[in-house]
Amino acid sequence: MGDTTERATHVQHGDHIDTIESVDLVFRAQRKLSFTYGAVFFAVTLAIPAMSVWWKSWYAVPIWGGFTANYLFVSLLYYVFLWTMAWMYSKQADKLDDRLSTMADEITARTAGEEA
Amino acid sequence: MNTIAIVLVIGLILFTIGLSIFSRRFTRTTADFYLAGRKVGSFSNASAISGDYLSAASFLGVAGAVYASGLDGVWYAAGFAGGFMVVVLFIASALRRFGEYTVADFAFGRFGSNRIRLVTVVAVLITSLFYMAPQMFGAGTTWQVLVGQGFFGMDAYTTGVVVVAAIIAFYVAVGGMKGTTLNQIFQFWWLAFAMTLVVVFSFGSGFSYPQALADASDGPIVNTKAYTVTELTTPDANGVTPYDKAAKVMTAEELATVDEFITSGADGKIPIAFSAGNKLHELRDMLFREPGHRYNTFDQFSMVLALVLGTAGLPHILNRYYTNPSGAAARRSTFWVLVFIGMFYIFAPIAGLAGIGFIKDYLANGGTLAAPTVNGLLVKPDQVMPTLAEILGGQWLMGVVAAGAFAAMFSTVGGLLIAAASAIGHDVYEKYVNPNATEAKRVAVGKIAVLSFAALALFIGLAIPTYGLDQAYPALIAMMVTWAFSVGASAFVPMLLTGIWWKGTTERGATAGMVVGLTSAIVIIFLNIFQQLGTLGKEGILGFIGSLTYPVLFTFPLGLLTIIIVSKIDGQLPKNVDAIWMRIHGTASERHEKQHGLDKVGSMFAKK
Repeated sequence: MGDTTERATHVQHGDHIDTIESVDLVFRAQRKLSFTYGAVFFAVTLAIPAMSVWWKSWYAVPIWGGFTANYLFVSLLYYVFLWTMAWMYSKQADKLDDRLSTMADEITARTAGEEA
Repeated sequence: MNTIAIVLVIGLILFTIGLSIFSRRFTRTTADFYLAGRKVGSFSNASAISGDYLSAASFLGVAGAVYASGLDGVWYAAGFAGGFMVVVLFIASALRRFGEYTVADFAFGRFGSNRIRLVTVVAVLITSLFYMAPQMFGAGTTWQVLVGQGFFGMDAYTTGVVVVAAIIAFYVAVGGMKGTTLNQIFQFWWLAFAMTLVVVFSFGSGFSYPQALADASDGPIVNTKAYTVTELTTPDANGVTPYDKAAKVMTAEELATVDEFITSGADGKIPIAFSAGNKLHELRDMLFREPGHRYNTFDQFSMVLALVLGTAGLPHILNRYYTNPSGAAARRSTFWVLVFIGMFYIFAPIAGLAGIGFIKDYLANGGTLAAPTVNGLLVKPDQVMPTLAEILGGQWLMGVVAAGAFAAMFSTVGGLLIAAASAIGHDVYEKYVNPNATEAKRVAVGKIAVLSFAALALFIGLAIPTYGLDQAYPALIAMMVTWAFSVGASAFVPMLLTGIWWKGTTERGATAGMVVGLTSAIVIIFLNIFQQLGTLGKEGILGFIGSLTYPVLFTFPLGLLTIIIVSKIDGQLPKNVDAIWMRIHGTASERHEKQHGLDKVGSMFAKK
C-alpha cells in the first residue's frame, strides 16, 4: 500500500484511481439503495407502535392461543423481516460494488485518456 | 451457595484469563491493541460483535423485562436487533472504508478540527459510562443470586461488582483487542448455549408458547415493589395508598406480614404486589400480551427509536467495524450479527414468559428460592434467568446460566473498556499529549486507560444501590441500557449520518449537533431519574420533560436539525472536502486490495 497518492481531484491506490466523478456515481447509487431499504425498514418498524396505539384488532385480539398479531410480529416475525432485509441489501450492495468498480475503472481510464 | 455454579464461573474466568495471556504474544502495535490488526473475518467478527452487544441487559434484562412487563418488554429484544439494520444500511461499510481507529478519528478526518475530535472523545466516554453502569449492576445482582454472600467484609453485591471489574480490567489490559475479540467470540457462544438450554428445558418441561401467553394474559399484570412504612401508607392523588392496592392482590397470609411490618414501624422496605395500570389504553386492563405496561403513546415511539438508532451510536460496536478487512466484509458481518442475535432475542422473551408459570408453580408446591419473592413473583425481575434455570435444571443449569451472565458482562464491559481506552490513549494521548511516543509507550497508556476506566465503572456500580436507583425502576438493567442507547443515538448518529451522506455538513454544524444531542439527552434522563426518586415533581415544563422515559424522539431530531441549520448558516466546508468524500465513498483502495488478494482475512495470530 505504499503506492497510494491522494490529491484534491483523485485518489490512487496502485493501478486503481478514484476521481470525484466516479465517486459521485458510486455515492448516488449507494444512497439510493440504502435510503430505499431504510424507508422500508423505518416504515415497518414505526408502523408497529402506531398500530399498537390505534388499531385494536392488532393489539387486543388473540389469533393463536394467547398471541395477538402484535405479540406474534414483535416476538417472531420481525426477525424474519430483518434477516430478509439484511440479506437482500447485502447481496444488492455487493453487486452494486462490483458493477461500480468496473464503471469507476472505466471512468478513470476515460478521464486519463482525455487528459492525455 | 451454589457450588457447581461457582465452579463453572471460576472455570469461565480462568479460560478468559488464559485466552488473554495467549493473545498477549500477538499484541505489539497499537493496531493490534485497538483493532486486532484489522484481520478479523466476517463470521468471527459477527460472533465478537454479538458478544460485545449482548450484555447483561440482553441476557438478564430482556427476560426480566418480559417477565415484569409482557409485550412492552418484548420490544427491548426486537429494538436491540433492529438497530443493526441502521448500522448495515447507513454506516458499516462507509465507516470501514474511511479506515481509522475510532469514531473520534472519523469525526476528525471528516471535519478536520481538533475541537470535534475532543467533543467526540467526551461523548464516547459518557456513552460508555452510561452503558457500563447496568453491566456493573448486573454483576452485583448476579453475584447475590449465585453466591449469596460477600467476601473481605463486603456484602454480596459489592463483591460481585469488584470481582467483575477486576477480572475484566486484567484481561483487557493484557490481551488488548485480540484477546478481547477471542474472548467475545467464546463468550457469545457460551451465552447463546445457555439461553438455548433454558428454552429447551422449558419446552421439555411442558411449556407451550401460545398457551403460556394465554395463561399469563388471564388477568392484569401484577407488579412487585419494595416500600418503607411511610410510603406504604401515603395516599396518592386519588387517595389510594400502596397498601390499599396490595390488599386487592396479595393473600391474607402475605398481607399479615405487611401489617406486622407497618405496626412495628421498622426501618427498611418490604416488597408488596399490586395490579399494574395500562399507560397506553387507560381504560383497558393491563394484560401481558398487550402494550402499555411501560410506555404511553409518546414512549411507544420514542423507545423504538432509541433502540433502533442507539445501536449505531454505541462506540464499542462502531469500533469493531474497523477490525473488518473491507466494507463488504463489514456488511456481511452485520448480516451474521442479525442472524445470531435474532435467534437469541427470539429465545429471551420465551424464557421471561416461561418464568412466570414455572416460578409460580414451584412456589405453590412448597419450593423455596434464594431470590426474594412476593405473591409468587420475583421482587427483582432481572433474577428470572438464574432462578428459572435452577428450577428447571438444578444447579448444573443454573451454573451454565450464571456463567453465561458473567460471560455477557465480561464481553460487553471488555468492549467498552477498549472503546474508552482508545478514546483516551489513541485520541488524546497519541494525538495531543505525546505524538512521538513509541509503540510500547502507546500500548502502555492504553492499558493504564483501561485500568482507570474500570475503576470508574466500579464506583458507578457501587453507587447505584446507594442512591436507590435499583428500587426506582422495574427491570433496571434493560432501562439503563436504553439510556445509553439514547445518549449514543442523540450524540453520534446525527453526526455520522450527515457526515457520511451529506457533503454540505460543516465542522461547526457537526460539533453543535453533537453537543446539543448529547446534553439534551443527558438532561432529560437525569430529570426522569429525579422524578422517579421523588425529588422532582410532575408539574410544569420540567415535570413534563422529566416524565419522558426516553428522550430520543426529541433529542435525535434536535441534534439533526442543529447540524443542518448551523451547517447551512456556516457554509464553510473543509478545503479538501472532495478528497474526504472520495475516502468515504471511493472504492479504489478496495479494488486495489482485491486485485492483489489483500482483502482476504489473514490470521489474527500471525507473527510479524
